[in-house]
Amino acid sequence: MPLWFVRGLRRGVVTTRYPARPDPSASALPTPPAFRPDALTGEIADALVATCPSRALARDGDALLFDAGACTTCGRCRDLAPAAVAASGEFELAGTSRTALCKRIPLAGEVRR
Amino acid sequence: MTTEQAAAAELRGAIARQFGRSLHIRTLDTGSCAACEQEIRMLAAPHYDLNRLGFFFTPAPRHADLLLVTGPMLRAFAVAAHKTYDAMPGPKLVVATGACALGGVYEPDSFSYGSVDAVLPVDVWIPGCPPSPLALLQGLLVAVDRLAEKVPRLSFVAGGPS
Repeated sequence: MPLWFVRGLRRGVVTTRYPARPDPSASALPTPPAFRPDALTGEIADALVATCPSRALARDGDALLFDAGACTTCGRCRDLAPAAVAASGEFELAGTSRTALCKRIPLAGEVRR
Repeated sequence: MTTEQAAAAELRGAIARQFGRSLHIRTLDTGSCAACEQEIRMLAAPHYDLNRLGFFFTPAPRHADLLLVTGPMLRAFAVAAHKTYDAMPGPKLVVATGACALGGVYEPDSFSYGSVDAVLPVDVWIPGCPPSPLALLQGLLVAVDRLAEKVPRLSFVAGGPS
């Protein structure tokens, strides 16, 4: 009997059950950042915009504009400001609208009207 | 909802039901670094096994229902992309794959359009650099209406609605 057949029987099913059940390896995937608005000041936001290599971040007055479609999950924003930026853990980002991927993150310390 | 809109919604549902049972995919590389191709290739590996979901790769656009486009759409490739799209029988879907295809990496330039939707009508967007095989599977299932899209509800604010 071929050895690969025996090995396959011993290991069982290796195929993911993905849409029905979550995949165990999903937590190890690189994911776009999630921002903490209370730690996100204007200076940090400007530094994040300057460090982003893929034009995923932009400053718009008292908010940070984040384009998850342009994000390459390089992690430079997380390295720059670990207090304000963490991994979101979201990998199911596909959608039928391009504009739905562009999000508005409020900044801390701005006057709320 | 007008009768035309209702008829269009009904037709879209009927097409998605047909495609949800069996969908043939043609990949199109419009100048990517091949990382997206590497991940697309992994979909056929035993761990992901996209054939179990009724998806199949096809070598010819004439047999394809869905065009999986990667890369920033080089200007030199636009004619070939149009020809590929025109060769596909309708109804057909276009899925833009990866940050380049979504317009994140390259600006419109003398060598590239910078995003796929400048040339082809895109139906589903899959972000990621490269998108993982799981993200690609989710995108394909969103394209055939078998999985609800999550991204409009996400805020990317820690502690906010997830």
